[in-house]
Amino acid sequence: MPIYDQTYRKYDARGPLRSVRFWPITREALRLLLAKKAFLALWAACWLPFIGFVIYLWGVTQFAQAPQVAQMLPSGGQVFGRFFHFQILLVFILSTFGGAGLIANDLRTGGILVYLSRPLTRRDYVAGKLGVLLALNLSVTLVPALLLYLVALGLAPDRYLVWSLAWVPLAILAYSSTLSLSSSLLLLAISALSRSARVAGLAFFGLIVALDIVRGVVGAIYRWPGAILLSLQANVRAIDNALFGIDERWFRIPWPYPAAVLTVLALACLLILRSRVRAVEIVK
Amino acid sequence: MAEMEGQALVEFQDLAVSYGPLQALVSVSGAFYPGPTGLLGPNGAGKTTLLKTLLGFLTPDSGRLSAFGLDPVSQPLEVRRRIGYMPEVDCHLAGMTASAFVAFAGELSGLPRDEAISRAHEVLYYVGLGEARYRTIDTYSTGMKQRVKLAQALVHDPDLLLLDEPTNGLDPEGRAEMLSLIRDLSTRRQMSLILCSHLLRDVESVCENVIVFNLGKVAAKGAIAELTGTRRSVYELRVKGEPTAFLTDLKDHGCEWTEGEDGYRVFLTSDQGPELLFRTAHECGVQIRHLRPGAESLEDVFLRALGQEVQP
Repeated sequence: MPIYDQTYRKYDARGPLRSVRFWPITREALRLLLAKKAFLALWAACWLPFIGFVIYLWGVTQFAQAPQVAQMLPSGGQVFGRFFHFQILLVFILSTFGGAGLIANDLRTGGILVYLSRPLTRRDYVAGKLGVLLALNLSVTLVPALLLYLVALGLAPDRYLVWSLAWVPLAILAYSSTLSLSSSLLLLAISALSRSARVAGLAFFGLIVALDIVRGVVGAIYRWPGAILLSLQANVRAIDNALFGIDERWFRIPWPYPAAVLTVLALACLLILRSRVRAVEIVK
Repeated sequence: MAEMEGQALVEFQDLAVSYGPLQALVSVSGAFYPGPTGLLGPNGAGKTTLLKTLLGFLTPDSGRLSAFGLDPVSQPLEVRRRIGYMPEVDCHLAGMTASAFVAFAGELSGLPRDEAISRAHEVLYYVGLGEARYRTIDTYSTGMKQRVKLAQALVHDPDLLLLDEPTNGLDPEGRAEMLSLIRDLSTRRQMSLILCSHLLRDVESVCENVIVFNLGKVAAKGAIAELTGTRRSVYELRVKGEPTAFLTDLKDHGCEWTEGEDGYRVFLTSDQGPELLFRTAHECGVQIRHLRPGAESLEDVFLRALGQEVQP
């Protein structure tokens, strides 16, 4: 039977344009990612620090009642800051595996034309892709940290259910957003600069590691605290310390400096995305 | 051009588009009416630039462009939702099955999710991929990828289908099937389409009207029947003897000719007849061994349009 004898139905029920147009992009990319068992395993591994901290909190409340022990073990809001110290690297790893191909693959397969020839703006496209990374990153930062807070409230209400720690949920929200947004924007920008997910992933992770090594070397040689501004990892850690009141020798710098670096980085990433996400080749 | 068939879907007037210093479209004017229209021209002629401007990817430097009465610059989303675009280049989403991809494309075009899924299955059957719709597109052959591209352009039932080189990379059988599908869309489904191709036979077999672009300008436009049927008569001929003087004399009489693999194609003006060929051959001492009348093909029109002064 000739193929044109198959049916083709007209569609006359065209409705108004959606107001939230990025959501199908985010949902479909997440569906594809979560269908991969290896990625699910990686995502689950990102929750291991949470389990560790739940055990820690339980241990502290059960066995460290003596004032000397309680002084040695961090408690109060610092617990959540320490939890985020573990999550920083995990967020970068999860982003690398989950998001390196988000734009690079579309550039390689021409998929970007599928999006941009539809009733979508470039902003919708970027928001959709950013939504994927934010959802992933917040699922291993905001969600476990808030759960940890609830666990702390449940296990030790005398220590945590107090007005002096009411700022913790807000700090968790602020820090999770800062960490997730910084990481997501940088990875998206790098992904937009390449047509290969592998290259983009290696470039992103290599950049994170290399800049941190440079920060370590410069800091050690010149004993200059400003060296932390060279590294994304160190900048977000400095913000973490500032928000949760943690004092670390190598990260003593007023928080506006790392905040300014992260803001400039985010703006640079947005500029890259603006110039790279387009349906036509740029002819110079 | 068949202006009488209805109001123009797309109109452009004195349209100029450039990529930085490079002028891609130079003050072109024309219109696309309901039905199939071919867009012809060599590489860099401005065909794809016109399509991209129509989709709102490029902003015109000057001139006016409207699609369905809308301005693609200020209302690109409204225009794009009524257009189905099948790009020339490969386009799919890595790791997706054809059914998921086409449904996703429908959803991006504004269809509700359930309707998008339902229509995705229908159009995949329509383009002949019903049995393979649950395979990932990465595993498809070139021909199957072309069909998926057509399916994603059709899923939201557009008012205008833009087909950019739809038979690229297809074997003869696949090409015939793709053209058959496109013909079916335009004839039985009354879908308006713009077929952008460098394969003249493809355009000839599907379209009634054509616009030829060259060097960013419109070189010719009109109904194919008008452009090819009435203007000039063509004769294919083979001669025995030295043809140089014969061909020179023909040129002196105002006839154009092209050399083919097996002889010559001679174009006579409307007031000339085949007796001119015999008379000139006799005068130049050559024998005409084969003479066959024919119509001017689209290829002839195309080549002639590229060789002559372009019209704005």
